[in-house]
Amino acid sequence: MRSLSYIRAKTVSEATEAFVAAGEGARYIAGGTTLYDLMKLGVERPAHLIDIASLAGSDRIETSGDVLFFGAGARMADVAEDGVVRRDYPVLAESLSKAASQQLRNMASVGGNLLQRTRCPYFRNGAIGAYPCNKREPGSGCAAIGGLDRGQAVLGVSDACTAASPGDWPVALTAMDATVEIQGPAGPRSVPIAEFYRLPGDTPHLEFAIEAGEIVTGISVPKTEAGRNSTYLKVRDRESYAFALASAAVALAMDGDHVRHAHIALGGVATRPWRAREAEELLTGRSIEPDIALAAGKAAFAEARPGAHNAFKIELGARTLADAIMTAGRKMQ
Amino acid sequence: MTQERTADRPRVDAYEKVLGRALYAADQPIAGLLHAMTVPATIAKGRIEAIDMTAAQNVRGVVRIFTHEDFSQIKTTPAARGAYGQPGKGHQPMTSPVVRHRGEPVALVVAETLEAAIEGAEAVKVRYASEPFSARMEDDLASPEAEPDRQLSSGDAEAAFATADHRVDVEYLHPQQHHNPIELISTTAAFEDGELRIYEGTQAASAFAGGLAGMMGMDPTRLRGVSPYTGGGFGQKNGIQEQSVLVASAAVLLRRPVKLVMSRSQLFHTASYRPRSRHRVRLGADEQGRLLAGLYETVQQNGRYDGFACDHGANPPRMYGYGAWRGSDRIVRVDTQTPGHQRAPHEHPSSYATECAMDELAEAVGMDPVELRLANDAQSDPITGKPFSSRHLADCLRRGAELFGWSRRMREPGALVADNGDLIGLGVACGSYKASMTAAVTTLRLFASGRCDIATSGHEMGQGIRSVIAAELIEILGVDPTKLDVRIGDTGHAPQHITAGSWGTGSAAPAARGAALKLRDELSLLTGAPLSEEPVHVQLARTRRPSLEVTVNTIPLGKDAQVIEQLRRGIPSTTGPEYPDFMAFSWIAHFAEVHVETSTGRVRVKRVVSVADCGRVMNRRTAESQVRGGVVWGIGAALREAGETDPRFGGVLNNDLAEYVVPVNADIGAIDVDFIDQPDFKLNMSGVKGLGEVAMVGAAAAVVNAVYNATGRRVRHLPIRIEDLL
Repeated sequence: MRSLSYIRAKTVSEATEAFVAAGEGARYIAGGTTLYDLMKLGVERPAHLIDIASLAGSDRIETSGDVLFFGAGARMADVAEDGVVRRDYPVLAESLSKAASQQLRNMASVGGNLLQRTRCPYFRNGAIGAYPCNKREPGSGCAAIGGLDRGQAVLGVSDACTAASPGDWPVALTAMDATVEIQGPAGPRSVPIAEFYRLPGDTPHLEFAIEAGEIVTGISVPKTEAGRNSTYLKVRDRESYAFALASAAVALAMDGDHVRHAHIALGGVATRPWRAREAEELLTGRSIEPDIALAAGKAAFAEARPGAHNAFKIELGARTLADAIMTAGRKMQ
Repeated sequence: MTQERTADRPRVDAYEKVLGRALYAADQPIAGLLHAMTVPATIAKGRIEAIDMTAAQNVRGVVRIFTHEDFSQIKTTPAARGAYGQPGKGHQPMTSPVVRHRGEPVALVVAETLEAAIEGAEAVKVRYASEPFSARMEDDLASPEAEPDRQLSSGDAEAAFATADHRVDVEYLHPQQHHNPIELISTTAAFEDGELRIYEGTQAASAFAGGLAGMMGMDPTRLRGVSPYTGGGFGQKNGIQEQSVLVASAAVLLRRPVKLVMSRSQLFHTASYRPRSRHRVRLGADEQGRLLAGLYETVQQNGRYDGFACDHGANPPRMYGYGAWRGSDRIVRVDTQTPGHQRAPHEHPSSYATECAMDELAEAVGMDPVELRLANDAQSDPITGKPFSSRHLADCLRRGAELFGWSRRMREPGALVADNGDLIGLGVACGSYKASMTAAVTTLRLFASGRCDIATSGHEMGQGIRSVIAAELIEILGVDPTKLDVRIGDTGHAPQHITAGSWGTGSAAPAARGAALKLRDELSLLTGAPLSEEPVHVQLARTRRPSLEVTVNTIPLGKDAQVIEQLRRGIPSTTGPEYPDFMAFSWIAHFAEVHVETSTGRVRVKRVVSVADCGRVMNRRTAESQVRGGVVWGIGAALREAGETDPRFGGVLNNDLAEYVVPVNADIGAIDVDFIDQPDFKLNMSGVKGLGEVAMVGAAAAVVNAVYNATGRRVRHLPIRIEDLL
């Protein structure tokens, strides 16, 4: 029988030391909602599991300081239900409550959620099919290109990979300029979330700016009044328990009726959580009107590269963003 | 004794189920059990050239690896997978080196633990010689059958269509769908008490046991099929599965019990499914909307080797009083596993196409869709000329329209707008399903203590057949449901029919009722007087007998005693819809209200009202539940469900419940159900016609028609997704 070692670490340093000691095939596990799934699919085959779900203090949620701080071990459900987050940063709370199911949110950690892998069916179907996938098996090719690509990304794609980044929470964090706190064998460091996710390019198997043995320890979000005028809109094939076809995180800092600064990120349409700077710029200095919101939506997709079955995501994504801008704008009144 | 109408009772097995006491096939505790796992083919078509088992044999715990070389003695009979009773059809994997579809078992690894079986299966290396294939009916190597599979006609439909005042000529596409009952398909084979017992969640224990015996060359009396509870069937469990005979043969060869639970992802490739189909519908009507002609041509995607019929044309001509009709159903063969019966197997896709076409005709004529249907109501079948045993479809429509508030509907699409700006659409569609019956053998025993045992034919798969049997015994004998033991789904207790096609209740209720009436007669003979109002067991006790037993063979209308012998041998034999003096169908009308978000095209089904004519309602609670389940499936079919195949690879890409999208609670609004509840005694003594299948027929069309009423868009394929309405 395939053996698997398992230890439960109590501190970050204990975990990173165990990771180094374990050698090849080591994986950290927190809520387990992604890793166990991928193990069952045969996409992941770890030899050593280092459980970091009960690291001391890792589930901290701090909202009283200059920044919001979420310990990586905090459960998605707990952050989604935090009173301050719900009142002052609905975009964050909604991105969590619209993800997965209540059962999964009760298990999954907000740190682990940053590292969720794509739902591209060609990637996930490794064991039963003969589908090539550059992400699963570098250099094998991409079956999604020229295949059933309805769910694939239209932004940030490459000739090697079009897999959509699956998350909701990372999209909201991207809009809100979060910082990812990381600790590894070489010590702690901070990475702006915009630099945390890589574009696929020629190396789609490299998804995150995190080195082997490093652990996400927390997430910081700068406080901003824009948080109150914010929303996360998610459009999908059913009303719950489904990944986004298109989603938009919008937060608006206003001067009276005019946008001083817009925070906008998109999900379901891009190969990584997608900061929509063009849309933000278009809104700056404008009042929130339907035609301007739609123009901002369209601007976000100017560079889109659709495949055979996912061109609708350009129109859907633009309208989803427009709806989200209008919803965020209405929170001003 | 009056017929008790619409009794609302808890299920007699509700406590067993919620307390986890009901043992499903894979739950059976069996000592010394071995675990099996299959190795799925990774090509869509070709031959096995070599199998390297070295690594797999070295996995600790692996007991034996079986390949096609071990199973060449297994016979492919008309009972085999995909044969559908036809000699020369069907394909049993692992009886030769031939691979006919992606995912079919090419090796079976048996081990002491499940983990070892999985690891062993993953370590088996198979070398194939692949061959060109087509997995979709649109592709190059797909082979259309030269002759239609079925045809029905009456009058000169072409001529009547050509001269009709109003015509529609439309084509609808229905995708492939997969049943996905929550209970995975599993097989456990064990020698117990000198017989080979097969524990498998099935709808057909006798056909199963008899069929396996035939394939294995065993004496059928030494094989027992056990399936007292099936965790959802929907037609996917109505025959021998690809792994059944492999597991049973492995148990025989190893002389040890063996269990295999097929994983969800593999079931998308080995179990049956609803095949993809295309439907061209031409309807012609006069100025008043009277249907002069219906022309209906369908094409269905089958596997290369299966005997699954294409029968879309059976119901639509019976829906309305067509002046003339011509229909034909054709098959296109491709390289996939065999399709099969999935709830309302042909009636659901055909009602989708024809009831949407009726909506298009209503618009062409300028009539209200309910009025158009009422104007074409019929009391006899246009094809055979026979009257219907009972038909209250017009009452279903009128009552449904009233309950639903149909009068709010605006003819102009998009004219009704919700406060939030969503477009509101209202749609209607009707459905029918043949009223069938099959034979049953029942042994009923009443004890002086008040206990009562019944062993009869039928399978409990969640639809509530135990409660139907109990309802008749409660009504005729006044027995206490807590002292009642209903033994079904086990060939050790009684021969078991295939429980499918909505004939379960129409067969089990008369069987139980007939046995109960016979028991009263026998008791009356014993007491020497007509029975009093006292409980029957008290009257029995007075005769000083501990118990009284009767056995009754129930032969359905139009059949003879031969069906009992067929039942014992596991050979399916059913009646309907045509009987000597009439045609018999259940009927239903569905009304749906959808709200469509204008910016994103998201469709929400806010409310459905369904009114069914299924003859007598045996239990209001389980009947309403049946209809709600059918409607939920219709909503899923309309807006979400589709098995997707990449033509370059074959197989099903979205092969799990995360990616194969079915509705969740948040997608389902109010579903209000009502019944006509008029017994049909022409059919059987219980007055039952059948409900499980008709519940779903027309539900998807009602949603699609509502989407049109909201948006003005005729989307002629399913599912209707966001991109269709942007």
